Amino acid sequence: MLIKLIGIEIIKIFGKKRSLLGFLALAILMPLIIWGFSKGATGIEQDIVRQLEGSFIIVGSVFNGFLVTYITMNFLWVHIPFLIMLVAGDVVAGEGAAGTFRITLIRRISRFQILLAKLIATYFYTIILITFFAIMSLGLGSLWLGIGDLVVFDEGILILPQEMAWVRFALAFVFATFVMLVVTTLCFMFSSMVNNGIGPIIGAMSIIIIGLAIANIPIDIFEKISPYIFTSYFDIWQKAFFDPVPWRDIGNDAIILTIYMLVFIIISTVQFIRKDIST
Amino acid sequence: MSEVILSVKNLSKSFGKRKAVDGLSFDIKIGEIFGFLGPNGAGKSTAIRAMLSLIKPDSGDIEIFTKSVRKYHNSALQGVGALVERPDFYEYLSAYKNLSLLATMDNVSKTRIGEVLKIVGLANRREDKVKAFSQGMKQRLGIAQALLSNPKLLILDEPTNGLDPRGMKEVRGLIQKLAQEGITILLSSHLLHEVEQTCTTMAIINLGKLIKIGSVHDLLNESDTFITEIKAKPLKKAWKLLKYSKLISFVEENNGIFKVKIANKDLSKLTHDLIKADIDVSAIIPRTSLEDYFLSLTGDSI
Repeated sequence: MLIKLIGIEIIKIFGKKRSLLGFLALAILMPLIIWGFSKGATGIEQDIVRQLEGSFIIVGSVFNGFLVTYITMNFLWVHIPFLIMLVAGDVVAGEGAAGTFRITLIRRISRFQILLAKLIATYFYTIILITFFAIMSLGLGSLWLGIGDLVVFDEGILILPQEMAWVRFALAFVFATFVMLVVTTLCFMFSSMVNNGIGPIIGAMSIIIIGLAIANIPIDIFEKISPYIFTSYFDIWQKAFFDPVPWRDIGNDAIILTIYMLVFIIISTVQFIRKDIST
Repeated sequence: MSEVILSVKNLSKSFGKRKAVDGLSFDIKIGEIFGFLGPNGAGKSTAIRAMLSLIKPDSGDIEIFTKSVRKYHNSALQGVGALVERPDFYEYLSAYKNLSLLATMDNVSKTRIGEVLKIVGLANRREDKVKAFSQGMKQRLGIAQALLSNPKLLILDEPTNGLDPRGMKEVRGLIQKLAQEGITILLSSHLLHEVEQTCTTMAIINLGKLIKIGSVHDLLNESDTFITEIKAKPLKKAWKLLKYSKLISFVEENNGIFKVKIANKDLSKLTHDLIKADIDVSAIIPRTSLEDYFLSLTGDSI
């Protein structure tokens, strides 16, 4: 029955226009970004070459689809959660507001099953959206701008050969999807508490912005509490580009994020099972 | 004694300081069309939501088919169909798709969807999105979703709300038809005449408490006085007789129709007196019997 329920929830999610907004936004934005890079990236390329020329002999162009995807992943990482929250925030609260729980929760199915199906369906949406993002950034970028070695800037400069870059991007997107599942779960938790689709988005977005600020602003007090805040581990995907890949760190980050996810799920479940449907 | 299909036991529920349902108890027997009557805010919908596990009662329990809804949600609700207040659906989906999702949850075949759409007269609109439906059509679709699982007990909360007179008549006809097919029905309404016309048994609640319960017929017979409309000619002669009749405590005439207050038992004697006085009586219609009764129970005046 759970599989059937998940199918029902997926139909409901993709039947709503708001669910297509994320895809539409990426479908418009990504070609625009790639086109913009292809037309006006000389400055960026010169900066990169300037930093590299003391240590490397550059043959050809470092500017390619990989680099564009890497840069895009960095600066869209606050915007993508918003697109996910449009759906995750509405999936439970929207039904409360619309009154449709009065036709679903009176049936011979436990609330836990219904909630679980909703959560899994929302995860499915998140995975599909990130996959679409990967196709529109890495796929389209590679086709449009070509591929080559990837220059990664973190604490130093790392050049990943073309063959390795594919693998690292695959890893990065898997980690990024995992982070977005945490965002999904956070927003889902808020969604199970209220009966309007806006509140969960505001709640989850506020927590993420505050959390990211605490994780990134170098103030003593923030640095002390930063390890206990889940947003401090949101950059887990960037570790896919380190050499060697710090699997131990990634594992620790993943465990902490998983614990947070479980806490969010437990709160959602308790809240939803005890909830009076009065709308 | 008939078998009890639904039993409400000392049910109470508060929202903040307001007690919505206060120690409510009653039984519904198999085959009844049970009217659940009360003014707006009496606690009918709260009680129905508790019956269907939409809200958790503060105390008390509800048993459906002898199974506690609290303890055995799934098995207790097997064989129950319900329409709670407004019929809200996934407006962006078609009527068929909406019912298809619910049929999957009920584990019933897709052919049943066609059957219930036919029963409620929406078979030709099955592919239309619900957002294009009128209130009446949504109401009928609401009944259709309640019928999906071939219920033995149908709980309908204000099913004629928002319907025009024709729609109301159709829904009432449908309820009676379903009852004839053996479905036990709980019909919640604040419309007195609806309960009077449709139900066999009724419970009257006010301020969350049960005021009266019994068969509609018996409860009406308990009532002493009726407001009855009489059409009689010649007007002057009829007026004179009615005004001075000892059987009548109140009379007024408006557009050729007399409105009189008379005890139920005296109605036939008055008819006899009118005919004996050579007055042509074309209609005697008890108009607001249940209304009077209801208002007297809830402490309001006519």
